[in-house]
Amino acid sequence: MKKSAGFFMTVLSAAAAAVGAAAYFLNCRTNYFVNLGVNPVVMGCAIAAILCQVVYLVATRKGHALWSDVLAVLPPVLLMAAAITLAGARVNGIAAIMTFENNAQNMADLTSAIVGIAACLAAAVAGIIAAFFDTVKE
Amino acid sequence: MKNSQNGRGAQRLWRGLTAVTASVLALALSAQPLVNASRTDIDKFLGTQSSKTVTDDTGEKQDLFTYKSDYAGTGELLNAIEDLGERMSEEGTVLLKNNGALPLSAGEKGKVSLLGFSSYYPVRGGIMGSSFIANQGTDADTVDLVQALTAKGFTLNPDLQPLYQGLESVFTTEVQSWGGTITYTTITAPSIGGVFSSKEPSQAALNGANASWKDGLSNYNVMIVTIARAGSENGTYLPGEAGVDPSQNLNQTDPLGLSDDERDLIQAAIDAKGADGKVIVLLNSSSAMEVQELEDNAGVDAILQIGLPGGYGFYGVADVLSGDANPSGHLADTYAADIASSPAAQNFGNLEWTNPDPSISLNSAIVQAEGIYMGYKYYETRYADAMLGQGNAGASVGSSTGSGWSYDDEVTYPFGFGLSYTTFEQTLDSVDVDLGARTVTASITVKNTGSVAGKDAIQLYVSLPYVTGGLEKSAIQLLDYAKTDELAPGESKTYTLVADAQNMTSWDSASGNAIGTQGCFVLDAGDYRFTVGNDAHDAVNNVLSAQGVSVDGDSANVKTWSLGSRDETTFARTKNGTAVENHLADMDVNYWLPGAAAYLSRADWQGTWPKTYTGLTANAEMLDILDNDIYEISANNGDPSSVTFGAKNGLTLADLKGVADLDDPRWEQLMDQITLEECMIRTGFGGTSTKAIPSIMSPEAIQNDGPNGIYSYPLGQYASSDASNGDPCAVAEDDPNREYRFGTMVNETVIGQTFSKELAREYGELCGNYSLWANLTIYWGCGTNLHRVPYNARNHEYYSEDAVLTAGQGNDFVQGGLKYGCLIAPKHLAFNDSEINRTGVATFMTEQQARENELRGTQAIVENGALAVMTAFNRVGITASNAHEGLMMDILRGEWGFKGLISEDFIMDANYVTLKEAVLNGVTMSCNTGENTMAAVSEKYSYWTLDAVGKDAKLMAALKQAMTWQNYALANSNALDGLSSNSRLVSVRTWYDNLLTGLQVGFGVLTVGCAAMYVLSAKKKH
Repeated sequence: MKKSAGFFMTVLSAAAAAVGAAAYFLNCRTNYFVNLGVNPVVMGCAIAAILCQVVYLVATRKGHALWSDVLAVLPPVLLMAAAITLAGARVNGIAAIMTFENNAQNMADLTSAIVGIAACLAAAVAGIIAAFFDTVKE
Repeated sequence: MKNSQNGRGAQRLWRGLTAVTASVLALALSAQPLVNASRTDIDKFLGTQSSKTVTDDTGEKQDLFTYKSDYAGTGELLNAIEDLGERMSEEGTVLLKNNGALPLSAGEKGKVSLLGFSSYYPVRGGIMGSSFIANQGTDADTVDLVQALTAKGFTLNPDLQPLYQGLESVFTTEVQSWGGTITYTTITAPSIGGVFSSKEPSQAALNGANASWKDGLSNYNVMIVTIARAGSENGTYLPGEAGVDPSQNLNQTDPLGLSDDERDLIQAAIDAKGADGKVIVLLNSSSAMEVQELEDNAGVDAILQIGLPGGYGFYGVADVLSGDANPSGHLADTYAADIASSPAAQNFGNLEWTNPDPSISLNSAIVQAEGIYMGYKYYETRYADAMLGQGNAGASVGSSTGSGWSYDDEVTYPFGFGLSYTTFEQTLDSVDVDLGARTVTASITVKNTGSVAGKDAIQLYVSLPYVTGGLEKSAIQLLDYAKTDELAPGESKTYTLVADAQNMTSWDSASGNAIGTQGCFVLDAGDYRFTVGNDAHDAVNNVLSAQGVSVDGDSANVKTWSLGSRDETTFARTKNGTAVENHLADMDVNYWLPGAAAYLSRADWQGTWPKTYTGLTANAEMLDILDNDIYEISANNGDPSSVTFGAKNGLTLADLKGVADLDDPRWEQLMDQITLEECMIRTGFGGTSTKAIPSIMSPEAIQNDGPNGIYSYPLGQYASSDASNGDPCAVAEDDPNREYRFGTMVNETVIGQTFSKELAREYGELCGNYSLWANLTIYWGCGTNLHRVPYNARNHEYYSEDAVLTAGQGNDFVQGGLKYGCLIAPKHLAFNDSEINRTGVATFMTEQQARENELRGTQAIVENGALAVMTAFNRVGITASNAHEGLMMDILRGEWGFKGLISEDFIMDANYVTLKEAVLNGVTMSCNTGENTMAAVSEKYSYWTLDAVGKDAKLMAALKQAMTWQNYALANSNALDGLSSNSRLVSVRTWYDNLLTGLQVGFGVLTVGCAAMYVLSAKKKH
């Protein structure tokens, strides 16, 4: 079967989610944020979303079923939760770095957090768009 | 289309819509904890309130308001702010040089050329921290130099302002930040790690913008040239050429020295002024600058140090220029010819550990190897030793010229220096030392010997007995000071100063003390010489003259008091009776790394001149403390049942309103009602306000930053608008001043330069009044860190390099606020004298240095009843300041008897907050925020659980004590105005709560609906 827009948007969403997860993981290792550790909700949601999308793409190679359509809805939900939770985990740091602790190193440390939040949000939006399309033309 | 027809299209549509609604639902649900955790700051940002107190109507509501304002309305209040801002600038502006050019005549006021971009874009406050806030449309609109001069009747060269406005791009600084670019048209201070770039437009740039710009100068030949250096929190200058942008090639050898573009501008002004013109330089800076070349330049007729004047200070500057005000300001810092040559500057900057570890905020270490010889205590002591021929003082080390050290080569303007349009004669009539009363009473007669009225600053100095190799002593030190009244020409008046004799003691770490240990404030045997002078150099010359040295001094103005034998008893106990002893021995780097450093001694200036200490390595013993995990929570710290929580005693905090006696048994009864959970949440999440505590009905009290005014929120944000509740300071919804922001006052250096305790008190009283109208109780507004070096860009938030001047101004300021129930807090305890790596920098020094300089600047303020203190980001030695028992418990709470609330400085990493250690050391709140639940606070600080802490009696008792101190401070503040015993806390749903709930419910329903439609469409298809 020929791949449809849903396939490409899902791949795009998964890729953005992977970027978000990677950026968050790197951010957790920066000097400024190292002590906050890795938030399991953020990382768990991002990884779960990616896994759902992989399974979804595999499962829908020959058509969509009711259960597989659930896998189209879950990823954006998980990614939205990841983005907001990540933003919440970084809000104090953002406030401090944007004001009282503004220097080049801290701004660099903050960058990966911003990338992580933005990538998760973008992945969620891509996932939402993907949900309007099938992955293959039946 | 085909799929739509067979139902697949509908499935996709409903699947997509389900994804949309479920995602928005996820957003709304995920945002709930974020909203809960950030509720305080959201409310501050939006101006909403999530809780309020309700008081039943049981009588005269006005009686519930303890504190009354001096003003009938916000208009009067703002007029008073404007007036005080002008007067502080009049008395805080320092006339450094004047060949008769000032004051200007009426005619000269009509032909002024303002030169330099900072004349049009002046620095009025900090770039960050104590930032200037412009106000328009209020009863006290702020002004810049042009507006102030115009308002005061000056006529300005009309060609110049458009010239500089057209050159904005030349001097604009853009700071990249998330969310956009911040553009500054004033000069800025370098960020951490950055260098200073001169922004003064070159002559070529000026000529290129308008080739005939100089044509009008002959008609407007009173040239006022403004040279500026900015102040900023989180900013720093670096010493010498290393601190200057290397790409500029402007012959600038120090960021606080002049660039060629600035020199060229001044020379252009000199060239253009003609025979009857004048060149007046305004130094718009809170840091001492290198201006020897301006002093030496005969073409420069006058120099005024104006600091950062805020929103109204330029009115005062205008009055000084015109002679409507006679300058009476005196320098709060030494103006050195080469700042980088000072001993303190040898150890300033990012001096990293060899084994840094960001996870524990281990970054750099500063060994303050200058010892007690900071600021004028260095320059004047070395000068005295050079004159006395002792201590190798004339050696070349520390000389800016490379040859033998000479005072005249090193100091342009001494500490305390300042000129007037008149002349004064000061006579030290008598000095009485009363050790029983711990006072030095001096009688000084001041006579105006000139032809115009004016005020003078009385500076009482003391020179302590010193023997080579003995305890380090400054050759001269400020003991007390006062500002005279305005004296008419020929008028003379006698003033009595009653100084705290502890200010002339020395800390001897090797001395015995009252409790048989070591460390005491002592008075060595010998001659104590008291004198007055126009500055510290004048004073030391008087003393040297009395010692028989041939210098330009007045020995007749010296009174000598002799002490027959060393005194180790009079000051062995502080004013509250606590015995003193060494508590800061671990601040000496040699305590941890024996032989690592040597401190400067006047016994041998050459041999002990500070090295730059880099490459220190923290060993395992040190890392045990540097990891910020010092206290182990344990069940073996006493009987948990011995600490009472949650009792039902029926008291509220309002029952103890104004009860100043902490031994009143009701305090214990009240605090028995608080729960352990409340204590743990409130200490862990102090945030930007003290939150309400329901069990004792303690209200939320809003915190504000400063010191240039209570500026964190508009006047009306927390003000009561309902006068029916009896609030005498209600601000009506249509009040024109509701949006006023009080970031408008002169910077602290200017207040220091006034040498006027009266003005400092007046400012405190004004802040107290403002706090009543704005309902803003806690004010982090009294910067008491010292100007260790001029390079700290944050010096604008601190008074001076001298501890006595700092404590004197700070004390009256804080007392003025307390009169109106406003808790003005000294900050940052202690040693926060650099912004470089301020979160974590290890600050090393001797205990003598700590006691006689930095701590002396705060001690009197606390001893006299301050009820709030903010701690520092930096480490005290290797211990986070909040965790340093010696500083926090032994000195602050013990020796000084502090009973109030303590906040940590802004948001810190949870590890560096050292919460459990901070609580044990009397800190009442961190600055972090979070949801009002144990789960949230435990997530932030993993060890902070009810299960763990609930077994540790010592920590539980400390928590309760911390909350007692915090609520004691609030009970003696205006935070309790309007509250009675029956007041109760009521939760309020804000509009954003309703919005969030609406989103959750709405999109929950939509998600279910869309999912159902998806299922239906799927069934239909099949």
